[in-house]
Amino acid sequence: MTPAALAGYVAVPVFGALMCAAPAFTQPTLQFGVRIPPAHSGAAVIRRERRSYYWRSAAVAVCCAAAAIIFWRSGSRWLPRIILLLEVAADVGCIWLARRKIIAAKTAEGWYAGLRQTVVADTSWRTQPQRFPVRWLIPAIGVIAATIVIGAIRYPHLPAHLAAGLAPPGSRRVARSPVSAFAFVIAQLYVTGMWTGLLVLTYRSRPDIDPADPAASVRRYRTLLDRFAKAALSLLALVDLTLLLAALQVWQLYHLHGAGAALPLVPTGAGVLLLIAVAVWAGRDRIRRGQRPGQAAAAGRDDDRFWKAGLIYVNRADPAIVVPARIGVSWTLNLGNPAAWLVIAVIIGTVAGLAVLRIAAGM
Amino acid sequence: MLLSIEPDGPVAIYQQIRDRIVEAIADGELPAGSGLPATRQLAVDLGINFHTVNKAYDLLRQEGLLRIGRKSGAVVARDAAGGAPRPGWEQDWAGRLRTLLAEAAAQGLPADDILRHCQAALAGFAFPSSPAEGGTAAGAWP
Repeated sequence: MTPAALAGYVAVPVFGALMCAAPAFTQPTLQFGVRIPPAHSGAAVIRRERRSYYWRSAAVAVCCAAAAIIFWRSGSRWLPRIILLLEVAADVGCIWLARRKIIAAKTAEGWYAGLRQTVVADTSWRTQPQRFPVRWLIPAIGVIAATIVIGAIRYPHLPAHLAAGLAPPGSRRVARSPVSAFAFVIAQLYVTGMWTGLLVLTYRSRPDIDPADPAASVRRYRTLLDRFAKAALSLLALVDLTLLLAALQVWQLYHLHGAGAALPLVPTGAGVLLLIAVAVWAGRDRIRRGQRPGQAAAAGRDDDRFWKAGLIYVNRADPAIVVPARIGVSWTLNLGNPAAWLVIAVIIGTVAGLAVLRIAAGM
Repeated sequence: MLLSIEPDGPVAIYQQIRDRIVEAIADGELPAGSGLPATRQLAVDLGINFHTVNKAYDLLRQEGLLRIGRKSGAVVARDAAGGAPRPGWEQDWAGRLRTLLAEAAAQGLPADDILRHCQAALAGFAFPSSPAEGGTAAGAWP
């Protein structure tokens, strides 16, 4: 089995578990992507739909994990991806079912009727901006620099033909060229540049403010963003380390067989688990400290109309590019803003450019 | 400061922004010299068009409460300790106050209650604490 196939099989149960647990770390005023006024956050329909969702998504996770175990032996690259795709579709279906019921109750009972809907901004978010943890980029840059130095030293000693990526021994080989030899460095630069750029955009975007308790929610958001960015930058360094380990194999500095071939994936796996742990912790923390029972809370703006299926944000009147997403601890792009399409174009354009480079190098 | 607006409310959004900033200056939350976000940033934070924020800032600038510099950004230009208002301003304001008080009178609120509301509002504002302090601030006024 190739490391890529292995990663695919491992992703199936991890994603299933995350989706199953997602409602547990989403604010009470945002259930399944539906904005809920504080007075209705304990509504019977929400509790019922959450219970049903846990059962449904747990069934999806178990079925997909079972399928992954059954097809494990085949070692196919495509099977885990197909299973993961089906799992995503089934989980989106589970969210859709819960959403439909909650929206129906919200509309029928007029949860927002007569409520004053407020939007709150904290000017200190801009006058005393949260500093991007630049120092946490040092490990990633260090790993890339080390990869470049080792590559430059190894390059003159490499044979005329190299292994094409992390392929099993005996598979296709490509002619030696700067692109084929330094493919992993290019991948490191791409991943590091893109994720740092997206993180910086997130830092410049607006915080997730709860109108019921604005000052405390801004403080919590600052902590959340700081921890999340540090975990994400650690993940970046670990992904770069994975690419370095892979490059060392291509540069014939070591070679591993069987289960050992998955060694380069260990740092990335650890980084992903770290990021998930931080996101889950931050989400739980946000809910725990955000709960103030018996408080006459202000209602946030009912902006459901801008959220397609509760997942995709399209608001032409909103100048924000990145906004906090509605499900779990994450962010998403405002597709109503042309600048967001520019971001997508840059990401796709770079991927396309790298693919052309790959083909040109005969990989 | 925490700037709270109602985007779907009956009052124009630029007016709400302007009102909240004036209140924060009076409360002492935004003393003279404190910075405000750039128009585009505040527009992102409130999820509204940046022209709306621009309109609110422009209004505040015309009222002499905000200074907008190319480099310094938007800065609160004056507060309660900044001396007397410019000539003619008080008459203008008295006219608007009369309308606001008339609303309460027309709705049947007794004069005592109206006064009580006025006193409660004034109690929340940050006037210069001692005459000496007011004097130094007023001293800056030509």
